[in-house]
Order: sequence, then structure tokens, then C-alpha cells
Amino acid sequence: MTKTKWLVLASIVIILAVLVFIFFWGGAEEKAGREAESPSSKAPTAPLETAGTRMVTLFFLSEDDDLLHPEEREVLSGPSLTDDLETAVIELIKGSAKDLVPPFPPETRVRQIFVTKDGTAYVDLTKEVTENFAYGSSSEMSAVYALVDTLTFNFKDIKKVSLLIEGGERETLGGHIDLSRPLAPQYSLIAK
Amino acid sequence: MSAQDLAGSSRVILSSTVPLSYSFEKKPSALVVSVVSRVSLRVQQAAFKSELVESVGWSRGKGSYAFSIELRRKGFSFEHKVRANPFELTIDLKPEEEPTEIAPPVRSAAVTEAPGGAAALPPAGRPTGALDPNKFRTIVIDPGHGGLETGAKGKFGVLEKDITLAIGLKLKDIIEKNLAFRVFLTRDKDTDVSLENRSALANNHKADLFISVHANGSMRKNARGSETYFLSLNATDEESRRLAYMENTSGLLEGQIEQENQDDVKMILWDLAQSAYLKQSSLLAENIQAGLNELLGTLNRGVKQAPFKVLTGVACPAVLVETAFISNPEEEKELGSEEFQDNVAQAIFLSLVEYFKSYP
Repeated sequence: MTKTKWLVLASIVIILAVLVFIFFWGGAEEKAGREAESPSSKAPTAPLETAGTRMVTLFFLSEDDDLLHPEEREVLSGPSLTDDLETAVIELIKGSAKDLVPPFPPETRVRQIFVTKDGTAYVDLTKEVTENFAYGSSSEMSAVYALVDTLTFNFKDIKKVSLLIEGGERETLGGHIDLSRPLAPQYSLIAK
Repeated sequence: MSAQDLAGSSRVILSSTVPLSYSFEKKPSALVVSVVSRVSLRVQQAAFKSELVESVGWSRGKGSYAFSIELRRKGFSFEHKVRANPFELTIDLKPEEEPTEIAPPVRSAAVTEAPGGAAALPPAGRPTGALDPNKFRTIVIDPGHGGLETGAKGKFGVLEKDITLAIGLKLKDIIEKNLAFRVFLTRDKDTDVSLENRSALANNHKADLFISVHANGSMRKNARGSETYFLSLNATDEESRRLAYMENTSGLLEGQIEQENQDDVKMILWDLAQSAYLKQSSLLAENIQAGLNELLGTLNRGVKQAPFKVLTGVACPAVLVETAFISNPEEEKELGSEEFQDNVAQAIFLSLVEYFKSYP
């Protein structure tokens, strides 16, 4: 009698122990797995802040000559290509951190940017880009090619740039350079 | 019947509503044109003033008429062309070459000292035949901007649109005074004209040259100087393919387009009509830049290429002249002065004379 009692009790204890073992151990294993994954994405934990940034080369004018002068800047990056393009254009409009001359009216805003399959970036700007400057040929060329060259130079997927104003096509910014077709870069305008 | 002086020759035109048969008899200082007509003619003669042709008289025979073109001098040669429907007989008379003095032509003197503005080019001592007098030419001058579209602005308030118009009017005046060319302005007052209508005007008049006059503006305060642009092509890949085909048949461009109607091919080609004339345009730009360098004393910024909207659709050699920088206070003052404007007009005028020597 007592023997059977003991046997039942012992088996219950064993089953419980196994259950407890499975409960804790199994969970621990799962947890370990999770922990093993997450550090890998944070692996280089130190440069956490710079992981979302990139260097862009912006082109501005100089008082010295008629060429476009590069200025490097670290900017936030991602998540998508159009975000990076928008950031570059915003920084370009913001102007130079040195004493280079900005090619666009600083009040200009970016409305939207989209990229077509053939690698043309459509940059839609607000009306200030035409209203706040009285362009001559030189200033109009500087504005157009500072933008085109900045995008094609920094983003290898961008082959040409098309400018839109307030969502629509415009012939020119101020009566000179043809905007009715996407523009290829003019790297000959960049200072060496 | 009319007569007029061209560069280096005089032209007499006999036109008639009925077809005529004609013959010539050359005398030492007169050319007699005999005309046979089955119906009787009523002769009308337009008044003219010519350095070579003194008078044109006429007499009636039986069923025939004799027109005697009396010249002021002995020794001449003539050529004639005839067109039917309506009948038009064009006779170009040239004085026989005098032994030419070998004197280097002085560019600026050549025109400013022309007496009465008639037959000023080529001046004595200069080889004639530099400009083919048998060819009428049509020049379209495009004063940039206008109306609400002011163009670049100067610190002292000088507007690009006013300078371009002033220079355009002066240029038209000089050309018309010195050459028997037709000159059209895309605007002769302060009005808005779309870029498309500017090139359309040139194409509708079958222009031989299109010259767009501008004043430059830069964000750089010390930018200065003069430059001349011709078009750099900014075609899409598909358009480039079409153009590659067209390049071999550039002379036929106009003819081919006219036959077709309003389809896409035509629109694309008209849109890039200038691509067939880039070579001539670059030569014209070189000539004009040289002229500006000679007469203006501004910094030579050279000949450049850019995709200017106003040039893309022009179906003849076309350039855009950036005379000087309105954004530069010193050059703004210059641009506003009559003297500078006169010099710009003069420089462009002399340059296109040079150009027509290369492309007679």
C-alpha cells in the first residue's frame, strides 16, 4: 500500500519536475535565440548615430569664377532613395556653410521628388524658385545645373533630372534654359 | 517695274500679271529688255533711287515693249532670273570691277561712313561678291523677355527687357539701312511674347538667321563680360535616334516636315529643329563673339553652348547674345547708355556680314 503510494507520489514529482524543466529551459532557449539575433543588428553599437547619415557633395557658386564648387556635408540618410534625394535638394537650397553663393532663392521648398524607371529624378519645387529671383542666363544655368549635377553626382541611379514647379511642367525658370526635357548633368561646369 | 540697290549691285524687277517673253540687248551703259506680249500692257513704275541705275524708260512697238535701263556708268555685267505665275523677271546689274585697291577693309568704317545708307556694302576697294546679291535674306531679331517677364534686373533698376528691345531696334535699323535684307523683330514694344512664338515667327518667315539679344544676370556681383551661345542639344534617347537619321538629310528637314501633317514626328522634329543647324550656328556665334570683342571692350567670355528654350525650335542658324551683365553695376550703366547699345548693334551687324561671306 505504502509502496504504491510512494510510487505514485514519486512519478508525480518526476512529471512535475520534467514539466518545470521544459517550461523554464524551453523558454530560456527561445530567449537565448532572440538575444542572439538582436545584438547582430546592433553589432557595431558604437556608431549608432552615424548609421543613418551619409555624405553628400553639394554644388554652389563662387565669387571667383563661373563654375560650380563642391561642398561636402553629412546629412541624415534613408530610408528610401527619394528621401535621400529630398535631403540633398533641401541642403542645396539651404545654401553654403562656407562663403559660397547659393544658386536658389532660400525660400524655395521641395514639394515632392519621384524617380522613374529610366533613372530620371523629378524634382517638384514651390513657386518661390521662379518668383523670388529675376534670372539672367548665368544665374539660371547655375541654378539648374547645381541641382542636376548635385543629384546625378551623388546618386549613381540618377541619370537625368527634370524640374517641376508647383506640380506642373514649366518651360524655363526665367526665360532661358529649357526645362521641357529631363536634363543630363554638365560636369564641365564643376570647378576642378 | 521696280528697282533697288543691293550690296554691290542693283536689282530691277519686272513683274506682270500675264506671262511675257523677253530678250536682252546690252549697250555700253544701258540694258534694253524687249518684251513681247499678246495683250496690251499698262506699265507702272515704282519710284526708286539707285547708285547704279539712272533711269528706266520704256517705249511701245507693235505688240512689243522695250524697257531701257540706263546706267550711270559704262561697263557692267548682269544676270537674270525668271519666275512664272505670276511672271517676274529679276535683273541684277553689277558694275564692272575697277582695278581693286588692295586696302585692308576697316570694319567699323565700312558702315558708319556709308553715304545715304544706299549700297553701303561692300565699300569701294573691298572685293565684291562677298555677299551674294541675288539672295534675299531674312533676319529675325529677338529682343529677350518683355511685358511682365522682365528678365534680369540691375541694382540701379535697369531691366533686361528694356535693354534687349533698345538694342534690337537699333540692330534692325542698321541692317535695313545698309543691306536689302528683310528684318523682323519678335517684339517691337514692351509686350509678352512666348518663347514658342518667337521661334515660330522665324520659321514662318523662313528666316535665314535668328539672333536673340539678351543681357546677362548672375548671383555673383562681379560677373562681367560678353558671351554668345548656340544650342546644346538636350534630346531624349528616342529623339536622338530620330535626329541621327535626320542629320544625314538635314537639308531636307523643312521639306519633309511640310509634307506631313500634325503628327507626333513633326512636332518632335520642329521642337528640335535647331539641331540641323548647329554647325552654322556655331560659326555665327564665333563671328558675333569676335565682333563684340572688337567693338565693346568687355571681357571675352567666349562662345558657349546651353539648352536655351528659345533656340530649340528655330529652323535656321540661331544664336543668343549675352551682351553684358546687368547684375554688375558697372556694366549695368554701360548697357543703359546709347553708345554701348549702338556698339552692340554695330558689332552684331558687322558679324553677320562676315558670316554671310562664309555661307553665301
